[in-house]
Amino acid sequence: MSATLDTSDEILQDFLVEAGEILELLGEQLVDLEKEPEDMDLLNAVFRGFHTVKGGAGFLALDAMVSICHIAEDVFNILRNGEMILTPDMMDQFLKVLDVLHEQFDEINEGQMPAEADSALLAALTAIKNGETENLASETAAEVTPPDDQVDEELEQMIAEIEEPAEASGDITDVEFESLLDNLHGKGKGPTAKTGKTDSEEITDGEFDNLLDQLHGKGKGPTATPAKADESKSSEDITDEEFEALLDQIHGEGKGPVISKTTSSPVEQNGVAEKKPVKKKKASKKTESKPAEKTEKAEKPAAKKPVATKSPAKPVDTTVRVDTKRLDDIMNMVGELVLVRNRLDNLEASLGNEDITKAVSNLDVVTSDLQTAVMKTRMQPIKKVFGRFPRVVRDLARSLDKEIELVMVGEDTDLDKNLVEELADPLIHLVRNSVDHGIEMPDDREKAGKPRTGKITLVASQEGDHIQLIIEDDGGGMDPDVLRNIAVEKGVMDEESAARLEDRECYALIFAPGFSTKKEISDVSGRGVGMDVVKTRISKLNGSVDIDSNKGIGTVITIKLPLTLAIMPTLMVRVGERMFAFPLTSVSEIFQLEEGTTNVVDGQLVIMVRNKAMPLLYLHEWLVTNPNVEVNTAEQQVVVAHVGNHRVGFVVNAVVGQEEVVIKPLGAVLRGLPGFAGATITGDGCIALILDVPSLMKARGKG
Amino acid sequence: MSEAEDIVNNDDIIQWVTFMLEGEIYGIEVIQVQEVLRVSEIAPVPGSPDYVLGIINLRGNVVTVLDTRRRFGLPDHEITDATRIIIIESADNIVGILVDSVAEVVELTKSAIESSPNVGNDESSKYIAGVATLNEKLHILVDINKLLSEEEWSEVATI
Repeated sequence: MSATLDTSDEILQDFLVEAGEILELLGEQLVDLEKEPEDMDLLNAVFRGFHTVKGGAGFLALDAMVSICHIAEDVFNILRNGEMILTPDMMDQFLKVLDVLHEQFDEINEGQMPAEADSALLAALTAIKNGETENLASETAAEVTPPDDQVDEELEQMIAEIEEPAEASGDITDVEFESLLDNLHGKGKGPTAKTGKTDSEEITDGEFDNLLDQLHGKGKGPTATPAKADESKSSEDITDEEFEALLDQIHGEGKGPVISKTTSSPVEQNGVAEKKPVKKKKASKKTESKPAEKTEKAEKPAAKKPVATKSPAKPVDTTVRVDTKRLDDIMNMVGELVLVRNRLDNLEASLGNEDITKAVSNLDVVTSDLQTAVMKTRMQPIKKVFGRFPRVVRDLARSLDKEIELVMVGEDTDLDKNLVEELADPLIHLVRNSVDHGIEMPDDREKAGKPRTGKITLVASQEGDHIQLIIEDDGGGMDPDVLRNIAVEKGVMDEESAARLEDRECYALIFAPGFSTKKEISDVSGRGVGMDVVKTRISKLNGSVDIDSNKGIGTVITIKLPLTLAIMPTLMVRVGERMFAFPLTSVSEIFQLEEGTTNVVDGQLVIMVRNKAMPLLYLHEWLVTNPNVEVNTAEQQVVVAHVGNHRVGFVVNAVVGQEEVVIKPLGAVLRGLPGFAGATITGDGCIALILDVPSLMKARGKG
Repeated sequence: MSEAEDIVNNDDIIQWVTFMLEGEIYGIEVIQVQEVLRVSEIAPVPGSPDYVLGIINLRGNVVTVLDTRRRFGLPDHEITDATRIIIIESADNIVGILVDSVAEVVELTKSAIESSPNVGNDESSKYIAGVATLNEKLHILVDINKLLSEEEWSEVATI
């Protein structure tokens, strides 16, 4: 095995995808398990998770991963047999295992051979394992396995057992045995066979026989055939002949290189049907071939097992895995279509032909539907992000000695895949903040007359064309006066302006760079960078963050995000002869500018809006570079945009209207040009620049 | 330079699209030229470097147009009927360059190309791959990759 891995290898890729999903799931399951340590289904699920990862890793000879999964699997085997009860300390170890697996997973992703897990961790696990059941290996499956267990678990149990003697025999290692099994069965699996070693050179026939002997010695007595015949009856897909061939293969006589596809495919399908009802199915070769592999592995032990528990129905596989790049392309094309529709809309208005109007309005409906449909293909449930939180909260709460209950609502809310990925970091930060700053220590809570256990609620919901995320805690809340003082101390603003801030504006102060209410910096939070970053990240996604708090009662953080990043609702304005687009999320109101209503304060033009002074900026001074263009000053409107916590009025010549636009990135030459988020093509085929208000203010204004 | 050029030996023929700038003939490799457009509406981008004329709508894609005259340190010139935008593709980036006019496609053997004789001023010589004489006329061959080199881009990005 080389030190580096070929990450372009399809099997490896499939493994990474699958293992990634399993690891994510394991994180959730482990935390759930802590709450209900005796939940049999969960224990089984975790056990299966480790086992599947181990199987895949073994197939790819990722020894480090195999060894840690193996031991975790062993421990869970003991747990699910009810011989030990899960304790929080054990859970700490398991979560560490998961961390190590994640690290190894990342290493594999980078094409590195995963590093061996910390030996202390392995030792700790071994201690857990040996602590209560030293004689595990000698126990038989019949004793260990409760009757209600599913077949595959029993089989896995058998395999686990088989491995033990293999280890004990000295000359064949665990891994070799794994690869032997894989080699043996790999042949039958058309698609994956190419990368499986074509022949098991390392192990001689003698050794192989030896192994089989061990296998059957362990499995009690009876020859495989009768019980298997049983099985063949139950799965009508396999004819006797085919089954014979299969048997041959299993027993090594059929070591002849090829087993026909027709033989293997029913087995594969069968395998999928019976093995993976619990697993989310995607049409990847791996998921199909892996269960098949397992089934085939299973055939041997199946000799001793009743097959009655097999589920007869094969769930129809209706999903397809598609490269997101392809979806992006489709999304782009739909964007084009939207532009053409916009243009047609414009033309239609000028033509006034009834038939054309009808056709265009039809097109309108279809395009909108198509847009929604394509958008939906890119949607992922926010569960992907939420799934990490139980773990995050649990770990943090434990390290801070707090008692916290996490409630999650609306995990199935869908949003754009890109958004899901981009959201993860800011959300984790906010949740950590709630745990660290929000929820008080249990004793303090009791004194305040609240239950000892703090509660953090995460709510995701779709509100019209945007997604709303709420992070709510019932902690201490924030004191606006404290925030005012800190703002003055940190030099964010002077005393007077701090005193004038409304409470709500005070809360928003925590988003200012360098602002931290924590007196001491912990490793959790307190550096005063986080919230600033959160805000920036969310703004980048065209979203907004809002914060409200009640001292002693709790804090609510509301995040609003568009459903997708590719299409953006904008407000089209005209400045001089040019069109510009304000992202609608940053616009709060529009009004007519009347002469004589403006004042100049400290060299800055301001206008009074509801008795508050708001700076007023003439966009054409910034955006119209050609001095020859006469700007009509008679008719002007003000677009009020919020920049951070400030509101700024931009004077434009005309507000054209709301338009959904497709963001086109500016080319490489102009990339990173401050003030613009991109460009778009308007309904009449012209180009409009999309303004990026914060960076525009930074680049040109006084902010 | 492009990979294509690395493999060819000295007598291979390379095709060049020639264009005029301030009375001089320039050439760029035909393989990098995507198309030649008449000048349509160019939307200026406020705050961009002075040699960026603006952006155009190329069938739904936004393409940046550079003013080649300014890039080469030549005086500005009015846009005429003959003015063209050459859309070039270089290292996955598509840009347009505004030129006085586009002439023809010429074939030059590699051996006919001489290294730049340090003609022109400092501004332009940076982007010159070499010169060649054809029909007794000097052709200045432009290295597009240098014209749009990464340094230039990063320089733009930091403005």
